[in-house]
Amino acid sequence: MLSRSAERLYWLARYMERTENTAKLVSVHMNLLMDLPKGVEMGWQQLISISGSEQKFYAANKLENERNVTRFLLTDPSYSGSLFSSLSAARENIRTTRELLPDEAWEQVNEMYLFAKNNLDAISNRSSRIAFLNEILRGCQRFTGLLSGYMSHHHPYRFIRLGRNLERADMTSRILDLASLLLSESRSDELRLYETILWMNILTALNALLMYRQHVRSRIKGDDVLNFLLLDKTLPRSISCCLVEISDCLNQLPNHDGLPEKLVELERYVQAIDTHQTTQLQLRGILDDLQNKLGELHQQIAENWFLRMASEQGQGG
Amino acid sequence: MKSIWENYKTDIAYDELMHSEFQPRPVSHGLCQYLNSLKKNDIDKRKMAAELAIMEMGITFTVYSDEGNIDRAWPFDIIPRIIDAREWRIIEKGLKQRLTALNCFISDVYGEQNFIKEGKIPSETINSSKNFRKECVGMKPRHSVWANICGTDLVRDKNGIMYVLEDNLRVPSGVSYMLENRVITKRVFPELLQGINILPIDDYPTQLQDMLSSIAPHHNGKPQIVVLTPGIYNSAYFEHAYLAQQMGAQLVEGSDLVVKQDDCVYMRTVEGLEKVDVIYRRIDDDFLDPEVFRKDSALGVRGLMRAWKAGNVALANAPGAGVADDKVVYAYVPEMIRYYLNEEPILPNVPTYLCSNKDDMAYVLEHLAELVVKPANESGGYGMLVGPHASAKQVEAFRKVIQADPRNYIAQPTLSISTAPTLCKGKLEPRHIDLRPFILQGEKTFVTAGGLTRVALKKGSLVVNSSQGGGSKDTWIINMEGR
Repeated sequence: MLSRSAERLYWLARYMERTENTAKLVSVHMNLLMDLPKGVEMGWQQLISISGSEQKFYAANKLENERNVTRFLLTDPSYSGSLFSSLSAARENIRTTRELLPDEAWEQVNEMYLFAKNNLDAISNRSSRIAFLNEILRGCQRFTGLLSGYMSHHHPYRFIRLGRNLERADMTSRILDLASLLLSESRSDELRLYETILWMNILTALNALLMYRQHVRSRIKGDDVLNFLLLDKTLPRSISCCLVEISDCLNQLPNHDGLPEKLVELERYVQAIDTHQTTQLQLRGILDDLQNKLGELHQQIAENWFLRMASEQGQGG
Repeated sequence: MKSIWENYKTDIAYDELMHSEFQPRPVSHGLCQYLNSLKKNDIDKRKMAAELAIMEMGITFTVYSDEGNIDRAWPFDIIPRIIDAREWRIIEKGLKQRLTALNCFISDVYGEQNFIKEGKIPSETINSSKNFRKECVGMKPRHSVWANICGTDLVRDKNGIMYVLEDNLRVPSGVSYMLENRVITKRVFPELLQGINILPIDDYPTQLQDMLSSIAPHHNGKPQIVVLTPGIYNSAYFEHAYLAQQMGAQLVEGSDLVVKQDDCVYMRTVEGLEKVDVIYRRIDDDFLDPEVFRKDSALGVRGLMRAWKAGNVALANAPGAGVADDKVVYAYVPEMIRYYLNEEPILPNVPTYLCSNKDDMAYVLEHLAELVVKPANESGGYGMLVGPHASAKQVEAFRKVIQADPRNYIAQPTLSISTAPTLCKGKLEPRHIDLRPFILQGEKTFVTAGGLTRVALKKGSLVVNSSQGGGSKDTWIINMEGR
C-alpha cells in the first residue's frame, strides 16, 4: 500500500476515535454534573483543562459555562479538536482513501458528517444534545464494526488499528488526568462524599464500569480504578491494552525497524506505575510523561512509514 | 388531480419516450404505465429519496468558479432514458467500427503516415494539431491501440437519426456517474426494474480491468495497475477514486510514483518501492511528464515518457492519442473508416464546416447566427457559440475570434437534439439530451450497454455539460424480443 494512503488511513482512524471520545466525554460529564450538588469544585472547566485547550477557549469565551464549553468542544469549526472538526477531518481523509475501504465505510462517515452539519444547533439544549451525541456514538460504532467485519485484516487495516489505539491511549491518559484532580489532597469534604459517583463516571467514560465490576470485584475505589484503567491488559480502553494492540500492529507491518523494541520499553514503563504509592502530584507527572511518550511514538511511526517520500526524493530520476 | 404529463410537448424535437402527449413509444410503455400508477406526491418522494441517496453516497463533482472549487451533488433526473436493444446493437457496432478506425489512424499518424501521403487529410491539419506529440513518433503500443478508453458523444436529430457529435479520446469522464445512476434507480424504483428486461451495466469495472491487464508490457499474470489522478481538486476526482476502488487498483498521485535509473516506474509503498505495470492516467498529456511536456507540471511524474518509450509501462490512453480528438480531425473519420477498414460508416457524422477551408469559412461567416461553432481542442462545453441562442453582440465577437484563428474552429448546423421527459417541479417536461457510451479497446473491444445520458436541465438549453448546468439520467437498453 502507498505510504500516502497509510498516513491517511492512520489519521482517519485517529479522527474517528477522537470524534467518539469527545462525544463520550461530553455525554458522561453532563451526566455526572446532573448527579453532583451545586457548589462542588467540579464543573465544565475541567473538560477544557484535560483537552489542553485553555488558551484557545479563553481567547474566544469569558465563561466556562455549559453553553460555551459544549459549543467549543462539539461544534466550534475554528477549534481543531472539536467533534465537528475531527469528523470533518476524518471525512477528508476517507475521501482520499475510498479505494481501499468498503463502500459502506465512506457512506457511514459521509452520513455522520452530513448529520452533524445539519444538526449543529441541536447541541444548544440538553435533551437534543443527548440525542445528537448518541447518534454520533452509534455512527462511530457502526464504522468500527463494519471495518472489522468487511475488511481484510491486512496492512491498511493495521494502520487503522494503529491510529485508533494511539488516539485511544492518549484519551484514556487525559481522562485519568481528570481523575487525578479528584485525588488532590485539598479536595473538599463535600467532594469526598461524592467520590464513588465520580469514579463511576470515569469508568463509564471509558466504557469500563461493567468490566470493572466483573474483574476487580471490589467496591469502587480510586486507586483500584486507576490501576484497572492503566494496567489491565484485556480492557479495550486501558492504556496497557492499547499498547498491546499497537505492538501487535507494529510487529506485523513491514520495515518496522526498531519500533517493537521501543514499544516493549513503553509497556514496561506503564506496568511499573504503582498507583497505590503515588501521590496526586506524582500521578500527574507520570501521565504528562506518558502523553509525551505517546507523542514520540507517533513521530516514530510517521518517520518510519509516512515520511519515506521525502527521504527518497533525491534518488528519483 | 392533474396528470404529470399535462401539456407535455413532443413537437419541439424528436422525443425519446413519447410519440405524443398521450402516446408512449413501444419501448417506454412499461415505464409510462408505472409512472401513471404513482400518485403525484409518490413521485416527489422518490425524487427526494434519490437526492438523499446521492448526498449519502457522496456522488459529487467539482465546479471551478471564481469563489474557489465547490463540491456539488450530482444533479440526477429519476426518469430514465430508454433505447430499444435492436437499435442499440447497430449503434454498438458503429462505435466499435469507429474506434477501430480511429486507432488505425493514430497508429498511422505516428508511423507511416499513409493517410496523409495519399492526400486524405492535409498534413497541415496534423502538424498544427495541439495534440500531435512528435515525441510519440515511432512508438508501437500493444495491440496497436492508442486510445484504449473512448467516450463518444451521440445525439439524435429531429429525423430520428443518431449522429456522432465528438470522440473523446484524451481522458473522457462520466462512466462512474453512469454506474451510480443505475444504483440509484435500483434504490428508488425497485419494483419497476423487476418487470422490464434491462441490459446490465455493472460489469464495466471488470471490463476496464481486463482491458488494462491486456495492455501490460509483460505477461506476468497479475500486472500492477494504478489510476493516476491529478488529485482531490480535479472535477472528476470522485470518478478516479470510484474506478480505482471498483477495480481494486491503487489510486495514485504523481508524487506517489518515481521513475528510477532502470526506466521503470515504481510507487512508494510502506514496503518500499513497488513496480507499476499499467497506468490508467487521468491527467492530460501536457502535465504527464515535466521532463518532456510542461516543465511546470507538479501533477505528473518525471521520466514517465522515458519509461513508456522503453516499453516498461503501459499508459492508457497512450500519450499523443489526443491527435484524433481534434474537432477538425473529426470531420475525416468517415473517410478513415473507408480507408482503413474498407467499410461504410455505420454512424454518421454531423456535417462539419472547417474554418481553415476557404469555402467553408465563407459559409460559416455568412450563417454564423444559425450555426454552432466550437473550438477544435476544448472539452466541457467551454468556449463555444450556439448561434441561435446568442445575442447579435456575442455573434460579432465570435466572428473576430474565428477569423483570428481559423484552424482552431469548426462549425456545425444547430441540431434540434432529441428530448426526454424530465421531472421539473413535479411535472414532466421535455428536456434536450445526449448520450455518451464508453468504448474500451485493448486485446478486445467492449461497449457499455447504453452510456451516460446527459440532460440540459434548463428549459430550451442545448448544453448538457455538468459544468454548465447539465444533469444526467439512467439509460436503459431494453430487450423487447420475446415479449
